[in-house]
Amino acid sequence: MENNYQLDPNKWIENYADALYGFCIVRVNNQSIAEDIVQETFLSAWKARETYNAVATEKNWLYAICKNKIIDHYRKKGATITTETEDSDNYFDNEEHWTKEKQPNEWGLNGQTQLEKKEFYQVLANCKQKLKELQQQVFVLKYLEDFDSDQICNLLGISSSNYWVLIHRAKLQLRNCLEKNWIKI
Amino acid sequence: MKLIKQFFMISCKEATYLVSLKEEGKLSFSKYLKLELHLAICILCKRFEIQTGHFCKIAKQHPRKPEAKMSTEKKLAIKTLLEEA
Repeated sequence: MENNYQLDPNKWIENYADALYGFCIVRVNNQSIAEDIVQETFLSAWKARETYNAVATEKNWLYAICKNKIIDHYRKKGATITTETEDSDNYFDNEEHWTKEKQPNEWGLNGQTQLEKKEFYQVLANCKQKLKELQQQVFVLKYLEDFDSDQICNLLGISSSNYWVLIHRAKLQLRNCLEKNWIKI
Repeated sequence: MKLIKQFFMISCKEATYLVSLKEEGKLSFSKYLKLELHLAICILCKRFEIQTGHFCKIAKQHPRKPEAKMSTEKKLAIKTLLEEA
């Protein structure tokens, strides 16, 4: 089947810079890193423009390149970050039961509908930012990019037991942060 | 009773840890049973499972910040780079 998709590099910045930037910032949580990733995306796209085969739209093609750049960024970072040691932040007591202070409270129906709102994503973004870097990365790769645990371990060069600890901590912390800042009980 | 506890009971800490493994189908049968038993009797861990499951799922539905804008300087810089490339 013939496709008529074409590239229009002169309009890339005008058409896609903000959108790609918004896409990156959710994933890397840092303005200058996000901007650099968009820059690399455009440069790589420009170099590869001859190989564009018009199977994907220009937009999807640029997003695919951008996604790869983000993953490259994670891969480079992964190796440099020291992996998680278990720190005590009082979710559980000595018997490994929930502490009163951090136990999950009922969110109720109200909580459910609250989660649908747009503002929720702002709170989630803020909570995500409070995570340790590696926790943030495993969370994004798992729940925004849909990788499975084996792929993420491979990508970041961490062991699987380390991965499960990271995702456990990330969820405990995010849940607690959302409850405190969004779900008003 | 003590024996039953030893064989079948897991702590809340372990249960919440295992919830993520369950999600990917990575639990052995015996771990799976232990987890399900725990979730059946522990309202707090059940809440944890439901709440985290819910926000992890919807985290994906909003893949970018719609209002985010890249700085004009950076756009200009990229433009120059592209022209030189």
